[in-house]
Amino acid sequence: MNRGRSIKQNTMNEALPNFRNLGITLRILLISNGMALLLALSQANDWAEVMRHMLQIATLLTPILLSTWMLLWVMQPWLVQLSYWYGVLAVNVVVAAVTLFICYFGGELFNPLDSDNSSFSLARNMLLGVVVSSVLLTYFRLRTLALSSSVHDARLQVLRARIRPHFLFNTINAVLGIVRTQPKQAETALEDMADLFRMAMSDARDLVPLQKEVQLSRQYIALEQMRMGERLQVDWQLQDLPEDALIPQLLLQPLLENAVYHGIEPLHQGGNINVKLSRNGEELRLVVKNPCLPSGEWSHRGNKVALQNIRERLHLLFDAEAHYQVERGKDFYRVEISLPYLRVRPKLKERSA
Amino acid sequence: MSGNESVLNVFIVDDEPPARTRLRDVLTDCNEALPLKIVGEAANGREALDKLVDMSVDVVLLDIRMPQMDGIELAQHLHKLQKPPVVIFTTAYDEYAIKAFELHAVDYLLKPIRKERLLESLSRAREAGPVQNEVLHELSPEPRKNLSSHERGKIHLIPIEQVLYMRAELKYITVRTADREYLIEESLSALEKEFSARFVRIHRNCLVAKDAIEGFVRGGEDSAESAGWMAKLKGLDELLAISRRQQHIVKEFG
Repeated sequence: MNRGRSIKQNTMNEALPNFRNLGITLRILLISNGMALLLALSQANDWAEVMRHMLQIATLLTPILLSTWMLLWVMQPWLVQLSYWYGVLAVNVVVAAVTLFICYFGGELFNPLDSDNSSFSLARNMLLGVVVSSVLLTYFRLRTLALSSSVHDARLQVLRARIRPHFLFNTINAVLGIVRTQPKQAETALEDMADLFRMAMSDARDLVPLQKEVQLSRQYIALEQMRMGERLQVDWQLQDLPEDALIPQLLLQPLLENAVYHGIEPLHQGGNINVKLSRNGEELRLVVKNPCLPSGEWSHRGNKVALQNIRERLHLLFDAEAHYQVERGKDFYRVEISLPYLRVRPKLKERSA
Repeated sequence: MSGNESVLNVFIVDDEPPARTRLRDVLTDCNEALPLKIVGEAANGREALDKLVDMSVDVVLLDIRMPQMDGIELAQHLHKLQKPPVVIFTTAYDEYAIKAFELHAVDYLLKPIRKERLLESLSRAREAGPVQNEVLHELSPEPRKNLSSHERGKIHLIPIEQVLYMRAELKYITVRTADREYLIEESLSALEKEFSARFVRIHRNCLVAKDAIEGFVRGGEDSAESAGWMAKLKGLDELLAISRRQQHIVKEFG
């Protein structure tokens, strides 16, 4: 994809975590506090003492953690430009410096019980800080490695499942049906199909401009309308969508395909799919709602591969920052996805870890 | 038709207009090799039944995946016709159905359909004859959505969710809905098996829709056969006897 931006980059496997990512931040907090708890446990002789030790550690740890995180948040655009090992060095230097600074100047304030500012105590705290940060960086590095291969696996699986064979063969059949009488429409249909399959066969990690995904989804709907005629209606609600927004490719189209296959097709009189895209601050929201047969008459034979794929991809790409919600009503089905609003030319490329 | 016995009368059923056009095109291409006539087409099962009742048709090309009533169910209703046509199923992609078809050696065509392949099926069609009803039952993974009853030159479809009870009487089975009764020729035990999710047997000769049971009343004769309990169904005054063997129903649904 030359036009799309990619979250895959050469250094994907060798990248620092994105310190502006909510999921990353939560993990850092959890793991470092977990380690503090371990330390407290190992020093204590009873449960009350564990609490006391933990409090003591936390009074020093929390200011260090917060200040380090704030500094890294600010430095993030600069950090991504460094090569991985320089990045690691930079992060460790920041951790060491912040620890030193806080212990030296605020030791008494934050940790009155243990306020000897001996050089040993300073060195020990600095060393502990660097060890914790190295453990965290190693954890994130391993996690990125693990995820990047599962992105790859997911992509392979997705390639088979994303566009249904049912759709492929029915559409080819429909094109053959109109080719003698309406050759022009048949041409357009084949062009649309080519666009769709080109997208389906490209790298699933690519981000594309939102407008492009919308365009592709419209082409997809045009193809289905060729087959189903009046029975398929789509109501697009695209309120002042940002021109520069990026979304993972083939996020909207599979939702529509699901709505057509499980929702509209089994309905004798057809129906109307509601597509709503909107921006809410730093968040993009996609809602697809379609009518469907009442639950009892609904065939459960169709697999849920498409939706599972989307959920998995969102998780891999955005971690805790994307949300996915399905509502199954008596006679409707509604999927809502919210994801961070990424711009076309972001200085920092979004990645999950 | 001009009384020419060798002309094959073909009928098309498919919910997608371009798919029907495609079939017409290919059938026209086949016409040179095998004299045939397209006598009509329908976009869904109900329309097909209404039209086919007054027609003499040799072959029906029938799409499997259609809204409301799938092709396999429609083929079962077509057996109620005076002279059931030969059915050739068509599908673009349906793993389950294709496996089942292979297993039972039922002819099917994959869309897009090639002229050569269609010719092959059509020329075999006359000798092959209609697919047996039992086989059709096995092809379908789900129960039918309708029962059908042939009555005064018309085939009535009875949506299964409207049926309150089915009772075996001599040769026929009486199917009761809130409005009226229909007679169908099927076996009660086969119906019980097919619709076990929806119906429960309350008597040797009677299946009742579970949702329709309103309550139970004491009454009726107390004999070796009958337990003295009667079932009351929603919207019906008539009471249905529960046999001694099925007496546990009273506890389960009471």
